[in-house]
Amino acid sequence: MFRKILIANRGEIALRIIWACRELGIQTVAVYSTADADSLHVKFADEDVCIGPPRNIDSYLNISAVIAAAEITDADAIHPGYGFLAESAHFAEVCEACKIKFIGPSPNVIRLMGDKARARETVLAAGVPILPGTRGTVQDDEEAMRRAVKIGFPVIIKAAAGGGGRGMRVVNAPEGLSPGLSAARTEANAAFGVPDVYIEKYLKSPRHIEFQILGDSFGNIVCLGERECSIQRRHQKILEESPSTALSPKLRRRMAESALKVARTVGYQNAGTVEMLLDEDGRYYFMEMNTRIQVEHPVTEMVTGIDMIKEQIKIAAGVSLAFRQEDIQSVGHAIECRINAEDPETFAPSPGKITTFHLPGGPGVRVDTAAHPECVIPPYYDSMIAKLITRGNNRMEAISRMRRSLDVMVVEGIRTNLPLQRRILRDPDFIRGNLDTGFLERLLGLKGAAVAAS
Amino acid sequence: MGGGYLDSDIKELMDYIESSSFVEFELEREGFKIKLVKKTAVPTDGLMAPALVPAQAAAPAGPVAAAGPDARQAAAGPPDAHTIKSPIVGTFYRSSSPSSRPFVEVGDRIKKGQVLCVVEAMKLMNEIESECDGEVLEALVANGQPVEYGEPLFRVRLAAPA
Repeated sequence: MFRKILIANRGEIALRIIWACRELGIQTVAVYSTADADSLHVKFADEDVCIGPPRNIDSYLNISAVIAAAEITDADAIHPGYGFLAESAHFAEVCEACKIKFIGPSPNVIRLMGDKARARETVLAAGVPILPGTRGTVQDDEEAMRRAVKIGFPVIIKAAAGGGGRGMRVVNAPEGLSPGLSAARTEANAAFGVPDVYIEKYLKSPRHIEFQILGDSFGNIVCLGERECSIQRRHQKILEESPSTALSPKLRRRMAESALKVARTVGYQNAGTVEMLLDEDGRYYFMEMNTRIQVEHPVTEMVTGIDMIKEQIKIAAGVSLAFRQEDIQSVGHAIECRINAEDPETFAPSPGKITTFHLPGGPGVRVDTAAHPECVIPPYYDSMIAKLITRGNNRMEAISRMRRSLDVMVVEGIRTNLPLQRRILRDPDFIRGNLDTGFLERLLGLKGAAVAAS
Repeated sequence: MGGGYLDSDIKELMDYIESSSFVEFELEREGFKIKLVKKTAVPTDGLMAPALVPAQAAAPAGPVAAAGPDARQAAAGPPDAHTIKSPIVGTFYRSSSPSSRPFVEVGDRIKKGQVLCVVEAMKLMNEIESECDGEVLEALVANGQPVEYGEPLFRVRLAAPA
């Protein structure tokens, strides 16, 4: 087992990793930017190193500063958390070269899954369904039209280098293709410096359902069930739950088997997530694989009883999984609400000092946060300040626990999306489990079609 | 105090340094650091009287204390004193190699852009240059010690504007 782990992250996930290390008897090193000098991950780690000024690029994304911090503190492993360097194949390679264990999959697997076109090819070869679309990028409009007609409208144009919803256009009919292509190319070029785009079948109201995978270094790969993540705004998940109300036991088994196939095909090690889209007719398609721990991992922990961060650390240390697929049981229902420092109506970020901070508790309630009264939410990073997670013996109990928790959670000094979350938890469609990626826009009464998550 | 140093040991050490040709002496052991500088080595005021510095007694876990770089800010100096801080995290060296002389010594006059030390990060030796003209009042970090981003390295008396 590792003696000392450096945590290359901040906020709630840095604390979450510190708790896991404490339980395993592993020393921790926090790294921080000058904007985070007073934050809890710095206070609760055994050691801490200031690695740079506030800007991401100068601190949490600064590979040489993170590695130098690991070297001067003699850390034998680095946990990247999510975001920042978590899916940087280059960072994983540098760790390897410096003889520091990167807690995650191998650089090759990170690189393969990060290249969306190559990932699609690999998954297709393994016999897992993908959305119909072009192989590689489309060059001229004529070729694009031929392919779009073959795929069938509506289609979505996506930037090859894409992410974050930029360089995307939904095209409902042939006459919209040419303007859509030039708009997407311009946007892709502006955002990523590459104008290349590809075309995919557009699903109007799919569900976003993802499967949690764990793989050890002995080739044992298991699936920890699914998470329903259809409640999103501009590809940002707002609320997640497990299990999904959309899956029959049979469909769940088939989708889990597909997710396992993806993981086995690439010899996946450590924690990863296979994201899929499910259409109204029960057909599902591979979307992408995330090669890191995810924000919403607690809902899986709450229903399976498996501590995923500890598993990640044990796997990286070369320990084999202590359970087989048949030992894993999902019991009850769990929901996670992401509490963000943002205006509940305009969604504008709301950094600043938290004056009052009151957290809910009681049976079946878990809060993962690094915020506290009098803390300052800096403007430089992610706006998520807390994850509120409830578990019940069934979905309705999890919902009632979430409602009472949201109702007594108080955050003053900054604005949060608590009012929006309270609305979601009382929405008739939500209560019925009637979800798809267009749910939130309908709730907010926004016009225009939602772009499918990708 | 770590290492079991007694006041009498320190007194003895001071007497020895006094009678030797050394102008500066530094010793660091776990939880203990001593730095002796002869008055004759300090050009003007008695700023550098022999000082006994408890080295992070509360942080047995390692070289980096729990309070962040500013906690180790040097004591307030004269109004024209300037602190040169580390621009990167890494390992601090006062010379380019173990056998060579330090880039600068206490009392040296320095120019803006002059190399003061190196900070090693990922096997790269990063030369740290002075951001001002002046005179080195104090070297705040011992050779071979880890430094954080923003950690004070030298105190410098700024040269009077020409």
